[in-house]
Amino acid sequence: MTAAQPSSTAEARRSPGPWRTAAADLSRNRSALAAAVVLLIVVTASLCAPLYAAHIAHTDPFQSHVSGTTVVGGKTVPVLTPSSTGLGLGVTPIGPTWDPAHYFLGADNQGRDVMARLLYGGRTSLFIGFTAAVLTCLVGTAVGVVAGYAGGVVDSVISRVLDVVWAFPVYLLAICLSVVLLTNGLHLGPLTVDAGSLWLPVTIIAAIYVPYIARPLRGQVLVLRNKEFIHAAVGSGAPTPRILRREVLPNVLPTTIVFVPLMTALAMLTESALSFLSVGVQPPDASWGTIIEDGLGLLYTRPAVTIAPGLLIALTTAALNVLGDGVRDALDPGARLRGGV
Amino acid sequence: MLSFALKRFASALLVMFAISVLVFLIFFATPGVDPAARIAGRNADPATLAQVRHSFGLDRPMPVRYLLMMRHLLIDRDLESFVNRGSRVIPQILQATPVTLSLVVGAALIWMVAGVVMGTAAATLRGRAADPLIMLVGVVGVSLPAYWLGEVVNLVTQKQLHSSVFSWVPPPGYVGIGRDPGQWALHMLFPWLTLALLYAGIYARLLRGEVVTALNEDYVRTARAKGLSERRILLRHALRCSLIPIVSLFGLDFGALVGGAALLTEVVFGLPGIGKLTYDALQNLDLPVIMGTVLYAAFFVVLANALVDILYARLDPRARHA
Amino acid sequence: MSRSTRRGALAAAAVALALTAAACSSAGGGSSTGPTASSSGSGTGSAAFQPQHKGGTLKLVAHAAAGSFDPQVNYTLQYWQLYQSLYDGLLAFKKVGGQESFTVVPDLATAMPKVTNGGKTYTFTLRKGVTFSNGKALTTDDVVASFERIFKVSSPTAGTFYNGIVGADVCLKKPAGCTLPKGVIGDAKTNTVTINLTAADPEFPYKLAVPHASILPKDSPAKDAGTKPLPSTGPYTAASYDPNRELKLVRNPHFKEWSRDADPQGYPDVIDYTFGQTVESEVTAVENGQADWMFDAPPADRLNEIGTKYASQAHVNPLTAFWYATLNVNSAPFNNKLARQAINWAVDRSAVVRLYGGTNLASPACTILPPGFPGHVDSCDYTKGGGTTWKAPDLAKAKALVKQSGTAGQQVGIVVQDDDVNKSIGQYLQSLLTQLGYKATLKPLSANIQFTYIQNTKNKVQLALTSWYQDYPAASDFLNVLFSCASFHPGSDSSINISGFCDKGVDAKMQAAIRTAQTDEQSANQQWGAIDQDVMAQSPVVPLINPKIIDFTSKRLGDYRFSKQFYMLVGQTWVK
Repeated sequence: MTAAQPSSTAEARRSPGPWRTAAADLSRNRSALAAAVVLLIVVTASLCAPLYAAHIAHTDPFQSHVSGTTVVGGKTVPVLTPSSTGLGLGVTPIGPTWDPAHYFLGADNQGRDVMARLLYGGRTSLFIGFTAAVLTCLVGTAVGVVAGYAGGVVDSVISRVLDVVWAFPVYLLAICLSVVLLTNGLHLGPLTVDAGSLWLPVTIIAAIYVPYIARPLRGQVLVLRNKEFIHAAVGSGAPTPRILRREVLPNVLPTTIVFVPLMTALAMLTESALSFLSVGVQPPDASWGTIIEDGLGLLYTRPAVTIAPGLLIALTTAALNVLGDGVRDALDPGARLRGGV
Repeated sequence: MLSFALKRFASALLVMFAISVLVFLIFFATPGVDPAARIAGRNADPATLAQVRHSFGLDRPMPVRYLLMMRHLLIDRDLESFVNRGSRVIPQILQATPVTLSLVVGAALIWMVAGVVMGTAAATLRGRAADPLIMLVGVVGVSLPAYWLGEVVNLVTQKQLHSSVFSWVPPPGYVGIGRDPGQWALHMLFPWLTLALLYAGIYARLLRGEVVTALNEDYVRTARAKGLSERRILLRHALRCSLIPIVSLFGLDFGALVGGAALLTEVVFGLPGIGKLTYDALQNLDLPVIMGTVLYAAFFVVLANALVDILYARLDPRARHA
Repeated sequence: MSRSTRRGALAAAAVALALTAAACSSAGGGSSTGPTASSSGSGTGSAAFQPQHKGGTLKLVAHAAAGSFDPQVNYTLQYWQLYQSLYDGLLAFKKVGGQESFTVVPDLATAMPKVTNGGKTYTFTLRKGVTFSNGKALTTDDVVASFERIFKVSSPTAGTFYNGIVGADVCLKKPAGCTLPKGVIGDAKTNTVTINLTAADPEFPYKLAVPHASILPKDSPAKDAGTKPLPSTGPYTAASYDPNRELKLVRNPHFKEWSRDADPQGYPDVIDYTFGQTVESEVTAVENGQADWMFDAPPADRLNEIGTKYASQAHVNPLTAFWYATLNVNSAPFNNKLARQAINWAVDRSAVVRLYGGTNLASPACTILPPGFPGHVDSCDYTKGGGTTWKAPDLAKAKALVKQSGTAGQQVGIVVQDDDVNKSIGQYLQSLLTQLGYKATLKPLSANIQFTYIQNTKNKVQLALTSWYQDYPAASDFLNVLFSCASFHPGSDSSINISGFCDKGVDAKMQAAIRTAQTDEQSANQQWGAIDQDVMAQSPVVPLINPKIIDFTSKRLGDYRFSKQFYMLVGQTWVK
């Protein structure tokens, strides 16, 4: 995509109230508000996961209960029931009981409470999505600003590196990196991330999407650099870091902020796809993607295990996208991630 | 113009080179990529292991290995898979190409038509109930995990409703268009719809924005002043200009998909296209095939980017320096 | 043999399962687990050929192909099963169902070899009138060339099965131009082949009956033939092979049946093996009659429907194999014997059985040698309430042992393959170890990586989930291969003794048992049974289950037979 046009923000930069205007715009946007409410509910529910597990379901969703039992309609039944008819092949976990105290949405193949896992999975998915998005936006902004402002060799080098990452199909790059890092963990100088750590998918997802942020921001900065107020600042002998901090950053910040919710949605979808290919979140941690993957082995007998987390992903990313659109309309209508979303 | 195109071409080559080095380095950092240990079996004698390694040229220094691999891939064009020895990479890619093209072209037709219709409708119905509703459909499409949607579609068509509504749906798989066009279309139908649903929303939302902007432009006002019908203004003027960014986005998306970006859709529906080939190679850590497919994918991405850039450069000379 | 050479996570799971072949038809269900539980199957003993069933196309499906089609290179069950109807060695396993399938019979040799020189010299007389599928007649030169080719192509077992042939040591070091002038001698005049070994090897006949010792034309390329199939002597030959699409076997026009025991003629005219479908759609295809048999194990959510609605098309057979967890005896916490024993007491085998697919698809294991295997004796040191078979875990005792060992709170990394079944067992083990007080983490790796990762001693794997499937029916193939000091190579990436178990006393007993086997197989097997118990007393591994295999076949497929050695006899089934 071509660079977003920062004209409106550049003009607005001296007036004291662009943020307040934007907030007012956003608060009038009914779909954005509805999306925010949905997100709030999802986040709150996920944060309450330990409460649900300990006080309502009375179960540890990270402990296998392969030989466990539970109570349905007053009767004690096994959580996993081996088939007893015909050749007696296969074992079926308990299905949804709609009883919050006993396997509300049924059990997975380890006999764990799916509902409790969904709530815990939400924590992981939201954490990865949000952290990766913030990380991408920070790194992407920094890279884009440096490349756009410095120009010359620095710009060429950075741009070529971005081109490489950009031309590498996202999922391919993510899978390649995951396969390697899941075996070895990540050791980059002082930075060490263990193979099973949640920071691994965060780092991978953040890395692959950097060009999505850096490219449009570089374009913005290129335009900004030719603006008069920058020339004036340079002419007055202000040091470069100060120009970047005082003049450039405030002008690109709205775009960065617009990208955060959209990027969170993208990162959550990517996390779930990686987990589906079993190169994302690693057990015993659960995310919505890993629950889907666990559920696929039960798709024909217990479809709820697969369908529920998928719906939650769709709901959350849809809410993030709607909210993101609202933020964009309020702050920087020209901002576009790749894909025009 | 020509020098711009040449420069673009040179930088594309550089990008491809960097990607090939990256793939090579990533994969030799993985323990277990060494096919020798797999071929030699679990209780291999060290001498046998060393011999197998030697026969793959894996006992040579990394730069030599890289150069040999690239020579076999690009110059001799006889690079062989590590896992299925004797099976060459290039014919495998050529064999997978029509499958991916079948999927992508069909889906692209559907999503472009649906996207344009939805986007235009939403823009013209602005302010009415239908607009946010259409846009909501678009957002949902964008927000669905592709593989999950595919699995659910399979569940519904193959099991839940297979005995009633969907009894005509064949089992997932691919039938060549040359072998039986009817079966080909039947097998591709749900993959098309699934993939198209993911993209239609993006295009509808982008187009809506462009049309809304265009309808406020001077030339539209001029046309209105001339007394042209709203329908004519929309179709002949507003829509036409709004399609330019759509077409450039389409170029990028189409390039990526032809290169195998529909990996998840192909895997879920068992379509032996480029994406599936790549996925299988990744599962097997079959480096030569991974190298071939990644470069193939990067080629299309780079090509699409270059074409879009050149297109813009033609339309707007200032973009050449951006 | 290990089946981990398979590709892809799904396929890996499949293998594991697929190896659980099953012989019998619906009735049995294969619940018997005792050593005498030979799978019944529809036929033991060679049945007469029934010409009315000849013809048609047998359609097989698998999620993925199994790599090179070269019989001297490929080391997967998937193709070993097919090679039975394609390639022949001097000797062969009998092509019948049941326990008798472990019997070795003469194949390209007219009779069992004359063994002289204290068990070191084998003399074979070659059968006359055998012709390769390319029209050339089989000669003693082909036999000599084939043995040399084992080394030229660096066959996976070159250094383990055939290293006893005189001159093999040189060939192993320098495969190119390998000759065995004193090891394998052909005499065209008398039509005999003599093989000289450096030491007596009672298992040598078995080693001659596996596909790596197939006899191929002498002009076969001296490298892995890969996807270009080599001419065969058996009833079928490969017409085309594309690992991404299809393998097509057709009748060998030059084949004339010479021994129904060794290589009987087949029923179908064409065997069509297609690759690339998802396992779910393989099940659907067999249910709908679009395919006759699927290689992969049916996914967990389809087992119930196969066992009920399609019960008459499912065949379940126990396998001579075991799934086990290795405990690294050379690093903490499992360098402590009490900690190792604690795990053996704690693991609920019935839970693992459930994760594998239920009591009719696997049985709890407590010994290294599987039931029905030479040397197996029922015994179980680690079961609640005592007895010779496993009944229940004893968590209290396990916790006490962990406490006594002082290892509680230590880190334990568990390395498993990332397919559904392996990963779910891994999750169970992780959960159990956490319960025992360890800080357990799980590391699922793709099948191809896991298999090389866990046998690389540098990775210091503390606990790995893996499995072992027999190459041939001899106790040493489990105990000597997996637990001898010679199989433990510190600092190497091919250390199959994953626990790193090396006990001088046990090693001496194994050497003694191997020596005894040269003269007295029965007492050797008794010794192996005792060695099994000696190893288990030290608890370097946790035997989990003995798997079974389901063969899910189409309605029209007839004459299903299950060989314990190579599973369903593909060429012996009919579709007409």
